Amino acid sequence: MPSASRRTPRAILSRFDELSAAIGRLVVSDLETRGALRTDVLALIDHVPSRETRACVSLRLVAEALRPDRDRGERQPALHRAALALLEAVRTYLASPKASDRLSLIEGPERSAIAIMRNLPEASPALKPRTSDLIGLTDRRPRSVVARAGSLPALALPNDTDRSLLGDFCDEAREYIESAEAALLVLEREPDNGEAAQTVMRAFHSIKGTAGFLKLDGLVALAHHGESLLGERRHRDGFAGGIAALSLRALDALRDTVKNLDASRDGSPLAYPPGFLDVLRELEDVDAETGATAAEPAGRRATSGPAARDAGATHSARVRLDRLDALVDLVGELVVAHWMIAQDPASGHDHPELARKVAHAGKLVRDLHDMSMGLRMVPLRGTCNKLVRLARDLAQRAGKEVDCRVEGEMTELDRNMVELVADPLMHMVRNAIDHGIEPPEERQTRGKPAAGCLTLRATQMNGQVVVALTDDGRGLQRDRILDRAQARGLVRPGEALSDADVLDLIFAPGLSTAQQVTDVSGRGVGMDVVRRNIEALHGRVDVQSTPGQGTTITLRVPLTLAITDGMLVRVGDERYIVPTTNVVVSFRPERGALFTVGGRGEMVRLRHDVLPLVRLHRLLDVPGACDDPAAALLMVVSAGERRCALLVDSIVGQQQVVAKPVTAGIGDVPGISGAAILGDGRVGLILDVPQVLELARRAQPNTQAVA
Amino acid sequence: MSADPGKYLTFFLGAEEYGMEILAVHEIIGVLPITRVPRTPPFVRGVINLRGRVISILDLRRKFDLPAVEPGPTSCIIVVAAHAAHVGLLVDRVSEVADIAAGDIEPPPPLGAGVQTDFLVGIAKSAARVRLLLDISRVIDAGDLAAAGPDGGAPTAA
Repeated sequence: MPSASRRTPRAILSRFDELSAAIGRLVVSDLETRGALRTDVLALIDHVPSRETRACVSLRLVAEALRPDRDRGERQPALHRAALALLEAVRTYLASPKASDRLSLIEGPERSAIAIMRNLPEASPALKPRTSDLIGLTDRRPRSVVARAGSLPALALPNDTDRSLLGDFCDEAREYIESAEAALLVLEREPDNGEAAQTVMRAFHSIKGTAGFLKLDGLVALAHHGESLLGERRHRDGFAGGIAALSLRALDALRDTVKNLDASRDGSPLAYPPGFLDVLRELEDVDAETGATAAEPAGRRATSGPAARDAGATHSARVRLDRLDALVDLVGELVVAHWMIAQDPASGHDHPELARKVAHAGKLVRDLHDMSMGLRMVPLRGTCNKLVRLARDLAQRAGKEVDCRVEGEMTELDRNMVELVADPLMHMVRNAIDHGIEPPEERQTRGKPAAGCLTLRATQMNGQVVVALTDDGRGLQRDRILDRAQARGLVRPGEALSDADVLDLIFAPGLSTAQQVTDVSGRGVGMDVVRRNIEALHGRVDVQSTPGQGTTITLRVPLTLAITDGMLVRVGDERYIVPTTNVVVSFRPERGALFTVGGRGEMVRLRHDVLPLVRLHRLLDVPGACDDPAAALLMVVSAGERRCALLVDSIVGQQQVVAKPVTAGIGDVPGISGAAILGDGRVGLILDVPQVLELARRAQPNTQAVA
Repeated sequence: MSADPGKYLTFFLGAEEYGMEILAVHEIIGVLPITRVPRTPPFVRGVINLRGRVISILDLRRKFDLPAVEPGPTSCIIVVAAHAAHVGLLVDRVSEVADIAAGDIEPPPPLGAGVQTDFLVGIAKSAARVRLLLDISRVIDAGDLAAAGPDGGAPTAA
């Protein structure tokens, strides 16, 4: 009896009615009822006929909207309404005998429920549906016709596009493009590497799918041809150089378009990047030559795609950043909650057994905290891939041959840091290719292999990440640098400089390492910018070079910008964190070491130095602090060439702190660079030593020693 | 500009009852230990640790030039979202969520020179109560705060 199998049992439908009524009655703040309703909705899934997977997905969304912890704010009623509407839609869907219009019943409510959920800043993203899930859900609609370059309309998003999906699409696309790029570079070296070819095809295919969902025909077309380029064409012709170059250009075009799409979310006008149509036309021509359509294999690969992706993901999981940040926040909350227990008199000395347990829990909480901070670390691989790509392109343009090697690409760094070291590294690669590595003929006359070797080596050492870029080019030439430095007045003629001092001159502003100007030169940035950027990250740049044999430039940066090594000092009732990099020494002065200049500027003698004394409590207006330097402590701090002795009550200890901005709602506070949560859950302020020195100088205008 | 009718969170500063649009309210918390931030205007109480986030606390009494008092057992911090950040407002007591109808709202009266009224957007009168309705984004004026260092500081956009 086929008609009966289509019908949904009456019992289930009446369960829907009960649930609808209950959600309708739901009181805004009633967490318990919400939780119970959610359980009911999830239980309902077990009773829905197994073929109705789509209805189950929607029911899960309903349950998600009812999560008790989802939103404590005023948007909760909207969520409930969305859940209700969706529940009703699923009910109608299940009851509807007509297959053709069933899908349209739930798609709308589903989208609005997701949209409301995604806009909740505090919402737990645990069950947030991903774009790719939605793609899977909607894949049944007819595939949009692949546009041709000639008939390509302007880049625009349909009016009904869910803008929040666009952000996810851009993130995912960028990731795919990055992996495809890396795989293409592998393919260039190993044309028979089937896995790499699959990676590239999968990237194009996935972008095509999502772009189709967003009705971005141009992207669909580009990705489609990119995919068949790697598929059919490669099978017939092998992986010749032309395919690699064209694929890379296709990826670039995709990347630029994605960038524009991303920017359009902030209101920038939307357009295809320049050159997009040219690449698309070229791809079309190649595809037409091949005379194959990729539609059939694409469908086949679509089913094999996810499995292959899972296989590669055994060692790591992709976690959304907001989830990660939410976790770190929660752990922070846990640290505070634990501190409150530890401080409670009930767990004090009278109950040693309890105190021991609390202390044990405290250790676990601290470990958890350390570990959660570590979750933000990401490998340098993405940056390395970019650099290899850059080196390849530059070398081609300059008519040079370069063999790139990367070691330690899995070295981890805070994700914010990764972005900040990328620019200096790119500059270093440009220098190495442009000025370091010689043209092939020159290399051969010097008895070197025609292809230059560029090695990027990343390691982690003593809480720092060390990235070294080595080329086997002509090396830095001491005499030329010295000539230039003298010409620019950086060095006096006849001044004796060690080799290290001379090499160090390449970091001086206005001194180029270029020995001849090329088209890559004249970028307006030099090694001085590299050094400045790295030092801003509390890092260091060093150079080593042997004439005729090559140059190594080494960057050392801390693992993360977020964590500051600091000395915790007490001033009155306040505590401040002084970054350890600024601390020279601390001591308790003898009375005889203190004197004043002109009756105002206080000074202190420390061995052979005379330092201005800065009473931190006066500068920061802290009441109740110790006023007698001989009874308190002086901490000598430095920033650049400036030094001074800060008067503090005592040093509490040394600790690593997570720096957070303090400016929200207050604005910049002079003398304070940020805030950190201390071990007891309170906020401590991090001193900005250069600014403190500046404030002190202004407060004591006749003291020159600070300047 | 005048206040819109709708739901308002009302709270007390001394004997005066104020209201702010509920949409701006993120959460209400008890008073946590506040770390003083030097070289800020007096109405900046300092910063607190709100579940791992550092947010600044403004004392509305001091902001409105009312006599300052230390936080008591009924004192609350109302966390609001303003200027793309969360800011806590220290108040004496949170009262209720009130539905304020358009007919009950009157424009703020001119209070003469010297009385700061730009963040006062209306007065809601009902039965025996008068509530002063605030535009919270004007109370927390980002530009004002950034430049408010006692010696000028280095006012940069936050």
